[in-house]
Amino acid sequence: MVDFGILMQIVFWGVYAGCIYILLATGLNLIFGVMKVVNFAHGEFLMIGAYITATIFLLTGINPYAIILLSMLALIAIGAAVERLCFRPILGTGKLNEIFLSIGLIYIVQNGAAVIWGDEWQSIKSPYEGISVPIGSLNVPLDYIIIMVVTAGILVGLFLFLNRTRIGREMRATSQNRKGAMLVGIDVERMDILSFGIGCALAAGAGTLWVVSGQVFNPYMGSIPAVKAFAIIILGGLGSIPGAIVGGLIYGIAENGAAYYFGGIWKDAVSFIILIIVLVIRPTGLFGESGE
Amino acid sequence: MSELDLHLKRGELVRYGTFAVIGIAVVAPFLSGNLFILNVLILMLIFIIYSSAWNLLAYSGQGSLGHAAFFGIGAYASTLIATKSGITPYITIFLGAVVAAFIGILIGLTCVRLKEWFLAMVTFGFAIIVQTIMVSILTPITGGWDGIASPRLLSPDIPGYQLIEYYSILVITIGCILFIGYIMKSRIGLAFSAIRENELEAQAAGVDPIKYRLLAFALSAYFAGVAGALEISHIGYITPEIFGVDMSFWPITYVIFGGLGTLAGPIVGTIVLTIIWDGLKLFGLTFGRYIIVGVLLILVIIFLPKGLVDLPNEIQKRWNARREKRMKAGTGVVKE
Amino acid sequence: MKYSVLLIAVLLLATAFIAGCTQQAPAKEIKVGVIASLTGPASNVGKNMWQSAQVAADEINAKGGVSFKDGSKVPLKLIVGDDESTQQGGQKAATQLITGDKVDILVGGYSSAVTSAYEQTVAEFKVPFVVTGASSPIITHRPDIDTSCIFHHCPTTDSYGQYTTTFIDQVVRPAVNKKLGAAADRPFRLALIYQDTGFGKGVQTAVNNTITKEKLNIQLVSQQSFKMGESDFRTPLTAIKAAKPDAVYIAAFPNEGAPLITQARRDIGLDTIFLSVENNDNPQFYKDLGQYGEGSIIESRFSPYTAPAGALADAQAKFKNSYYAKYGVYPDMMGASTYEGIYIAAQAIGNAGTTDKAAVKQALVDLTMPQIIEAMKGGTIAFSKDFRESRFDLWMEQLAFNQTIGESRPNIVWPDNLKVVDFVLPSWYKPGSA
Repeated sequence: MVDFGILMQIVFWGVYAGCIYILLATGLNLIFGVMKVVNFAHGEFLMIGAYITATIFLLTGINPYAIILLSMLALIAIGAAVERLCFRPILGTGKLNEIFLSIGLIYIVQNGAAVIWGDEWQSIKSPYEGISVPIGSLNVPLDYIIIMVVTAGILVGLFLFLNRTRIGREMRATSQNRKGAMLVGIDVERMDILSFGIGCALAAGAGTLWVVSGQVFNPYMGSIPAVKAFAIIILGGLGSIPGAIVGGLIYGIAENGAAYYFGGIWKDAVSFIILIIVLVIRPTGLFGESGE
Repeated sequence: MSELDLHLKRGELVRYGTFAVIGIAVVAPFLSGNLFILNVLILMLIFIIYSSAWNLLAYSGQGSLGHAAFFGIGAYASTLIATKSGITPYITIFLGAVVAAFIGILIGLTCVRLKEWFLAMVTFGFAIIVQTIMVSILTPITGGWDGIASPRLLSPDIPGYQLIEYYSILVITIGCILFIGYIMKSRIGLAFSAIRENELEAQAAGVDPIKYRLLAFALSAYFAGVAGALEISHIGYITPEIFGVDMSFWPITYVIFGGLGTLAGPIVGTIVLTIIWDGLKLFGLTFGRYIIVGVLLILVIIFLPKGLVDLPNEIQKRWNARREKRMKAGTGVVKE
Repeated sequence: MKYSVLLIAVLLLATAFIAGCTQQAPAKEIKVGVIASLTGPASNVGKNMWQSAQVAADEINAKGGVSFKDGSKVPLKLIVGDDESTQQGGQKAATQLITGDKVDILVGGYSSAVTSAYEQTVAEFKVPFVVTGASSPIITHRPDIDTSCIFHHCPTTDSYGQYTTTFIDQVVRPAVNKKLGAAADRPFRLALIYQDTGFGKGVQTAVNNTITKEKLNIQLVSQQSFKMGESDFRTPLTAIKAAKPDAVYIAAFPNEGAPLITQARRDIGLDTIFLSVENNDNPQFYKDLGQYGEGSIIESRFSPYTAPAGALADAQAKFKNSYYAKYGVYPDMMGASTYEGIYIAAQAIGNAGTTDKAAVKQALVDLTMPQIIEAMKGGTIAFSKDFRESRFDLWMEQLAFNQTIGESRPNIVWPDNLKVVDFVLPSWYKPGSA
């Protein structure tokens, strides 16, 4: 039987890793909620956010945690542009088209990044790199704690935005009933752009946290986290935020557990096996509403 | 200006055109006598089969992101049957594809109740699961990551074997395309179309969606398996990389480009993109090629949603629309 | 439908013509085909290989070219083929080089999966092929085709595993026993963490085989695998820590190895000796490791920061500087072996006195030449009789943290004929159970 101490450690790493997935998944859910569109290229925005943060950090030496805001702002702009140029024209032409469009975007963004920044693996070092905080039997790096705090902060900020500001409420209205929103005079096209932008900004936040934690990155690093985020939101139900959080936790723990018992190669496969089993039983996900 | 009518006498053009195409395909190897062009053509033919197979499944409204699973299973099955039993690859190709079709039905079963994105993710996941199984549990028979040697269609000792190989593959390709075309035009194809358009209405009209979804999977997986087995018997060595994401994405790109849901679409798309891809290589572009393909793909999706095969219709539509505008805006004098 | 038929016809014609566009330069020169991955995931290594080949060719041509016994010299012409890191790309590139450009000899090849796809074309046309980048022994061991014209000038996973395991037995084990004050027959506790691919599994097999064959007193207390591209190793590391190893051997790429060691030391508290494979010996690895690299070992043959003393050090420095002058970065070991591969090709053709492929192949079989920039067994480059593999003299280097730079730097500690300092156990080192 597994040592409880080891189990706790595995769970802890799962929670920390989950932060990045939760940010990604929330962004996806936001975009889906308002536009009813799923962007398979979401991981590429994570990657761009990571590179923007790394580049600014290397040029100016500003604390990367502060750069996160710049990175997120940049991605609101980029996301808005992508929405306007690519997704808007095909809205309503069929779900398959959105998937194919995303594939095209993936080709462009990944290789564009390779052209600009080169395709070698890179990394940056956080200013708090060597500092650790003892918690129980673990020696937790300060960065991990900051990352969890920042994630929570972003999520709280998002919650306030959606519930306390007028635009945020308009966005929620659009996601709940698009036609109704149009009837009461909400500019749904503006909501589309905004939600896409914010969704991408969340991805940028995830990307920034990725590099700040010292993890290596290259132009192709966005695909794997994105696919996992997808599996998480499908598991938790498209559009459901609590579902995404539960899904993320289940994933983090299941993946690590599978790696421990069956070998590292099963990590990805297990994610999908869980997904497939859940979908066979409930075709709309754990918390999803039927009929998308 | 006179009205532009590109709809020539249908029957004649199709007949002459098809002969022309086949004629060129037959003569092509002699137009420049080196092995390289032969290899390019062979790979192109194989991908035409593969793209058409994927297209068939998409025709039924099921867009798979993990078709490499069938491509690879067909390849592995054919290789294993051929090495264990000594039967010539000419036959094991079609046997191996049966295994792929069987797995296709299994995978299709998990997908019958799923909507597009879910289906996409599930098929994507299956490609990963299949690869994982191949390199872990099944390693004793598949050789794991090292892979195994695959018997070739013809022994290199036979003189002129490259040409024979090319023509064999050409014949097989034509056969597969004819078969797929027949399916698409038959009542089965009609049922696929109906399910794609509106599953509820199709069901109301008496079409059993589950039966046809599974049939689509089986057929599509079969031909993907044929393509995979063919490719590996040409290359001579199989490794698990065959299940990679790249292998799943290429047929999608080819088909979207050429025209989803048509018979000629996958063919046109494969040829055009192969030319662009290998052609751009001459200019020394590396990452740039992917970017260009991505841009072209997005342009096609937005402006030419029915693909390249629809180009003449699009041109005709816009030309006539412009002509109408001019006639209405002008003083009525028609310039000739 | 009707128009598309015509379209297809036109396109097939176009394909035939475009793909067939090749012209042969009739000039008197020796054509060397270089197969490298210029695009795709392996493009870093591929670029290194191609550029190193060019450095070698430039040097040879600066002296007039390949020298023949009768005193004449013929210049080398390099033609590159991009295998795109895929099987199809590899096959196209190889066929173009062999039948289109009609090269006299081939050099290069990196990914074993890709190389195995075009090996038979090479075998069929009997083109001599010096493989300088693939680490799988399968390349020259294939049972289904005649690999007699294929020569392997690159250490394989068999070598990595064997040398490293031998080093552990000869040097690390006694050091740990001394520290513990344990008896000399205490078995060494080794943990293995490897990438679940041909590369990683090849190393795992080699380690197991070496221990069994040579009856080494080493116990494999834990063997964990991870998938390629993994970035979070804490779970397998936790399992390894629970097994109480004396050392951990890592078979990974640098983008995995560096996070692995960092996470092990910083997050898991696994304060042990880590041994890495030679492909990690590049500047980015040192940068990513920072202080956590201290005390760890890399098995290597070509390092950015060190070299065996003597003539080799000068030759390596010269190569590195020429490469840097031309490309602004430093070469890696695949580049080094490809550089040597060009020289090997030139020497073989010169010895053969002709570009006739059978004669060149024989010249390669008989080849004995002094080592160029990498240490070879016995100081000479020669291919084994059975599987045509050359024998590298691989060394082990230990990393020492340099406060001023903020990174660790290597020093060769083994074998004795190459070493600079002694191997030491760092002060913070914790052995496995006593």
